[in-house]
Amino acid sequence: MERGRDILALVAPGLVWAVHFVLIYALISAACAQRALIGMGTVWIAGLILTVLGVVLALWPLRLSNAESVRRALLWSSGIFAAAIVADGAFVLLFQTCGG
Amino acid sequence: MAVTDPETRTPYGGARKGEPGKTFDEIWQQPRGLRYWSAVSHQAVGKRFIVTGFCFFLIAGVLALLVRTQLIVPGNTFLDSETYNQVFTMHGTLMMFLFAIPILGGFAVYLIPMMLGARDLIFPRLGAFGYWCYLFGGIILMSSFLFDAAPDGGWFMYTPLSSNEYSPGAGPDFWLIGITFAEIASVATAVELIAAILCARAPGMSLTKMPIFAWYILIFAFMIAVGFPPLIIGSILLEAQRLLGLPFYDAALGGDPLLWQHLFWLFGHPEVYIIFLPAAGMVATMLPTFVGKPLFGYGFVVAAVISMGFISFGLWAHHMFATGLPILSLTLFSAASTMVAVPTGVQIFSFIATLAEARPRLTVPMHFILGFLFIFVLGGLTGVMLASVPFNLQAHDSYFVVAHLHYVLIGGMVFPLFGAFYYWAPLFTGRMMSEVLGRWVFWLMFTGFNLTFLLMHLTGMRGMPRRIATYPEGIGWDRLNLLSTLGSYILAAGVLLFVVDFIRHRRVGPHAGRNPWGAATLEWLYPLPNPNFNFHAIPAVRSREPLWDQPELTDRRAERIDGVLRGTADSRRETISCDPITGEPIQIARLPHPTWTPFFAALGLAVAFGALLASFYWISLAGLCFSVLVFLLWAWEPSDAGVLRPDGMGRTLPVDLADRRSHTHVVVVGLLLVLFALHASLIFGGLYLWNVVPDFAELTVRPLGLPLILAAGAALAMAVAGTVARRWALSERIGASGAMSGLTALLAAGTTAALGWAILPVSPFDTALGAVIWATVTFVAVLSAAAVLWGLFNLARDLTGATRPGQARHAFNLATYAKGLAAMALATAGLLLAFALTGGA
Ligand code: HEM
Repeated sequence: MERGRDILALVAPGLVWAVHFVLIYALISAACAQRALIGMGTVWIAGLILTVLGVVLALWPLRLSNAESVRRALLWSSGIFAAAIVADGAFVLLFQTCGG
Repeated sequence: MAVTDPETRTPYGGARKGEPGKTFDEIWQQPRGLRYWSAVSHQAVGKRFIVTGFCFFLIAGVLALLVRTQLIVPGNTFLDSETYNQVFTMHGTLMMFLFAIPILGGFAVYLIPMMLGARDLIFPRLGAFGYWCYLFGGIILMSSFLFDAAPDGGWFMYTPLSSNEYSPGAGPDFWLIGITFAEIASVATAVELIAAILCARAPGMSLTKMPIFAWYILIFAFMIAVGFPPLIIGSILLEAQRLLGLPFYDAALGGDPLLWQHLFWLFGHPEVYIIFLPAAGMVATMLPTFVGKPLFGYGFVVAAVISMGFISFGLWAHHMFATGLPILSLTLFSAASTMVAVPTGVQIFSFIATLAEARPRLTVPMHFILGFLFIFVLGGLTGVMLASVPFNLQAHDSYFVVAHLHYVLIGGMVFPLFGAFYYWAPLFTGRMMSEVLGRWVFWLMFTGFNLTFLLMHLTGMRGMPRRIATYPEGIGWDRLNLLSTLGSYILAAGVLLFVVDFIRHRRVGPHAGRNPWGAATLEWLYPLPNPNFNFHAIPAVRSREPLWDQPELTDRRAERIDGVLRGTADSRRETISCDPITGEPIQIARLPHPTWTPFFAALGLAVAFGALLASFYWISLAGLCFSVLVFLLWAWEPSDAGVLRPDGMGRTLPVDLADRRSHTHVVVVGLLLVLFALHASLIFGGLYLWNVVPDFAELTVRPLGLPLILAAGAALAMAVAGTVARRWALSERIGASGAMSGLTALLAAGTTAALGWAILPVSPFDTALGAVIWATVTFVAVLSAAAVLWGLFNLARDLTGATRPGQARHAFNLATYAKGLAAMALATAGLLLAFALTGGA
């Protein structure tokens, strides 16, 4: 029977994705809105670190739970969110300017 | 009625609201006549949501036919352009807010307890309150037609079009007030469903043994709890701008119309998935029945539903691709929009794989499922096209978008819904709907739909913009529009035939008997229609398909099936409540009997909202006070907690436990989630304006630093006082706990006072940022007022002897609320302090 930890493992990648998304959005907003708080270099470096960290954290829950009943769901949830984190981060890394 | 069982702790009766002398059946009987409307059971409330939602669907459908009739030929004068604007606005609004979400919520309210092994929803009155708010909100919105003030700014009510300047009439006010009211209903229902799914399941039904429908509804409910608050806040700000002149979206004073778009789509995009999820859950439930095999890849689907729940919140700005946002921002949203196709695809593949497991029985619901797969996949594909920014800019605001959104909404929601009606109708009425008429309904709807909307892709590609009341002849749109309109009539004929079939089957449909489709889930356990209490005894569940895998559930008469809580100990309605994760019973939850309180609480609010529209502010205030009074009466009722009762399977369980896992605590956490989302929307608004309109941010007078530090201190002390009150209540120091609750109330008031003092120099009228600062502090003040009431309420209960030994829930839950409130107050004070320290005017 699963425990609280297994269910947490199931939703944790989603939470990691959400935090990553909000931070990337914040970085872009900080660089590209009128206030221009930070430069593109900062966006680039912070985006890279956040994305690598995000992928690691999204896959981490795979180590947390061995419960048979959630294993398959866990694999998929970690996989989908890790891919989503890469997709969100990749664009930030590919652009050199705010672009308009 | 004192209970004398020596094993149970009985310092008092433990059923102070029981109905002694009544049998189990009588206790659960639905009241008749006028009193039927006081029924709060999930069967009554669920049906009300479904019937009312369907009525709104019919009204919105007629409006759609008016639109199509106007567009049947070029240069038509059937509707003038003002009426046309009102008609399509009301069509979209009714469909999205008053039909789709409420009717799906209604199905969930009706089905979830039966599927999960509960006798009722765990907070029946909350469900009933939600229903009345929804109905009154709908009536307020519809009454705009009577005053010739129907909103006409489109279903997303963009500013500045909806500001006083460009919409001086009352149309937007009807929209904003009616919809906000109806949204309260959706949020209440969502919190109710979260608590019901997590806390009231059959013994042994762990989360991973839940029917897949419950997973879908759980995520649906969480999404409403987080997704609706941005629009609620956005609407309140817009109404405040219209009513009081606060410049939230007014560019001349540092506001930004795009802030409305952000808040609207932060709600609006998840909304689409909120609509899709329950409908997909219906498909995932019906499909295995007709294939005769379990759903393929339960685990994949759970993961996909969770992922969809999250990722759908990262898409909102893809509705704003053409607004001039930085391209880097657009790519982020484009990426998330494309990624959401993955969990959607996983679900669709799981459905297709289930289909491939065996030859399905081609019943009417199965037709609708196949229709869903066909139409929704096409809608998904055009969605992926639109997620690409360059294509989006071409297709923006054209009929291509209208076609796409109807493929997704009608394919993803209306087809499964009609299938669900055919599938679950026997549960409501005990009779089967017609297989012959049902096929006609399906084919009429399917052909009509595709004729109408497939062609709209072309109309859009040929450049026809949406929301135009007419078009000139001879530019290649005539024939397409004619055919689209004919298609919509065919679709309407299908819907009409469905109504006829539904009315007909109630009298002449064949009796359904027990489990007519051979389904696997618990709602089919009893001969139909189901008894009001759902289960004589609640059976233990060992499988996701209990009716297929547990012969002891099907080899005897339903009322003989073994389980917990047979009969009633205290002449009370009750159900078993479980550990949210493992499903093991932890307590007996006492449920309310029929009552008018939810109706009157909602009526008070309706008066408050209605009077606001007419600018009768005193009446509005009176309505609000009346509503608060009813809530207090509702909460004041004697508690059954603090005793133990046998569960009928050899164990004794506490009644209405004060514990983290208990339903009342889970609902407080759910409520906090909603409040955090509301607060976060305001904070987002403030940060957004600060970042995007820096000149006006600099012009905004800074708040005072010292009171902010005091507010933070008071908030922390409030959280501590609440926690101490909880501890003392648990150790039965009733008087002392009451005093601490009183102190919690005092500190909540202190927090607000200090925050208010801090922002006194800031004018809410001079800049938009100043207005947002005031709105945020007002929000915290309203929550603090609730804490004050709650703390004083606890104090009064503890002082007047209404609290008995072992009863600690009121203090237990206040502690959690106080911590949540403290977190919001601290965040507010911290951000304001940071702003104060950055200098400025
Ligand atoms: C039953 C058949 C339906 C027909 C024939 C129909 C027809 C239409 C048409 C022609 C428009 C475009 C009006 C314009 O831009 O001028 C429209 C808009 C819209 N429809 Fe439908 N519709 C139907 C069902 C639905 C359903 C089931 C939903 C949602 C659950 C829905 C949601 C919307 C929305 C949100 C809009 C946009 C309104 C706006 O632009 O403000 N429709 N519909």
